[in-house]
Amino acid sequence: MELAYYPGCSLHASSQLYDVQCKMVFRNLGIELKEIEDWNCCGATAAAKTDDFLAIALPARNLGIADATGLSEMVIPCSSCYSRTLVSQKRLSCDPGLKDAINEELGHKVEGKIKVSNILEVLMPRATSGEIAGKAHKKLEGLKPACYYGCLLTRFPCDVDVTDDVENPQGMETICKSLGAEPVDWSYKTDCCGASASVNDADQSLILMSRIMKDAVARGANCFVSTCPLCQFNVDAYQEQVAQKYGLEKRLPVYFITELIGISMGFDPVEMQVDRHLTDAMGLLKELKLI
Amino acid sequence: MSAKTLQYEATSAKSLLQEVAERSGQNLLACYQCRRCAAGCPVGEETGVTPDRLIRMVLLGDKEEALSNLLVWKCVACYTCGTRCPNNIQTARITETLKQMSKAAHLEPLRPRIADFHNAFMQATEHMGRFNEIEGMRIYETRTAVKEMKSGNFGAIVDEIKNQAKLGMTMMKKKRMHLKADQVKNKAEVKALYRKARQGKGA
Repeated sequence: MELAYYPGCSLHASSQLYDVQCKMVFRNLGIELKEIEDWNCCGATAAAKTDDFLAIALPARNLGIADATGLSEMVIPCSSCYSRTLVSQKRLSCDPGLKDAINEELGHKVEGKIKVSNILEVLMPRATSGEIAGKAHKKLEGLKPACYYGCLLTRFPCDVDVTDDVENPQGMETICKSLGAEPVDWSYKTDCCGASASVNDADQSLILMSRIMKDAVARGANCFVSTCPLCQFNVDAYQEQVAQKYGLEKRLPVYFITELIGISMGFDPVEMQVDRHLTDAMGLLKELKLI
Repeated sequence: MSAKTLQYEATSAKSLLQEVAERSGQNLLACYQCRRCAAGCPVGEETGVTPDRLIRMVLLGDKEEALSNLLVWKCVACYTCGTRCPNNIQTARITETLKQMSKAAHLEPLRPRIADFHNAFMQATEHMGRFNEIEGMRIYETRTAVKEMKSGNFGAIVDEIKNQAKLGMTMMKKKRMHLKADQVKNKAEVKALYRKARQGKGA
């Protein structure tokens, strides 16, 4: 089957590994990701903070392009892009005036018919049906991930249908368990890493990440797993700084969910760019004899 | 942290409430100060001002406090407050609105770096249609450096360069830095949306 695919800016830059892994894993599940043409930035949090019109209009242009593909569903792996796009679609469905004003500027008009999905909405049913485990050659034995969802996968600034439990989502746990890993039960799975605060309000972001790190370590996790490129990058890139400032001895690799699925499917870790993490991610897999 | 005494102004209370409610789409009058939002706010400890208190400022018409407090600037838009609110008030939409009103009133941001980052992000996106990390960071770092230089804060500039250089080097080593600029072909369409946003300001 074919799904429309919106990678977003991160997956074309610092989180290219996630783009590569998504394509590899989905292809193996018989899903071809069709990247929508000439997409633009969703505006992320910056648009919401600075301009109400652009916060809706920027994702709207992508929704118009996606509607024109004729495909029924678009998957967006980045939590921030997913959230902004879903919020824009919802807002336009109940504000025809705004929709007309935006459509005036667009070659491909927003119709609002494509279903916008996050990566877990696509993967989770395939985990419960046994399809993912059926393609997996390796059990992820010894892997104890703290499944880290962050903010934007389950919390929205308006009423939308949330597909997982808002405070205690289980999508990643379901997938990890189906692959033989033992996800830990922990308290910070939907807490905020600070996102761009790591750049513009660094002390605040380090406080937030220290709470996340401390709880994951205390619960006996030996790695994190995430679906969001912003969460993944922050906890990966700033982990050393957090650990030094808050006196933490352990370092935990921060995997994307696609990385764990890919490893169990027997994909080459270098081809999946697992060696590009800022906190070493290869060591644990070798230690557990998973690669 | 002890909170400041808020001022009640009957006339300004009505107009402030109306403006914030309209722009944010939130019914602030539904707040009965249960403070569930405060309990879940990840930056509440550092800001001293929690979402419930921000709503109170607006209801009392204390415009000065409402437009210029740490929560408006440091809010990380995690949407925990709105998700837990029993009356479905999305306070993060209120902080977003107050931040925009603060900018429109030309008030000095309490956290200039946060304001500069969001503005740099939007400028970089307008230019290429997509956010390029290198271009965005260049705009942001230049702006903050100029400000620090004007206030004679050279130590902060050196620290920032050191930190960013260190992260940049690690990213280069791990092939996480992408030098090729990613851009939209139909930039005119993206720019038209920006133009429309500017025309609609205050409407």
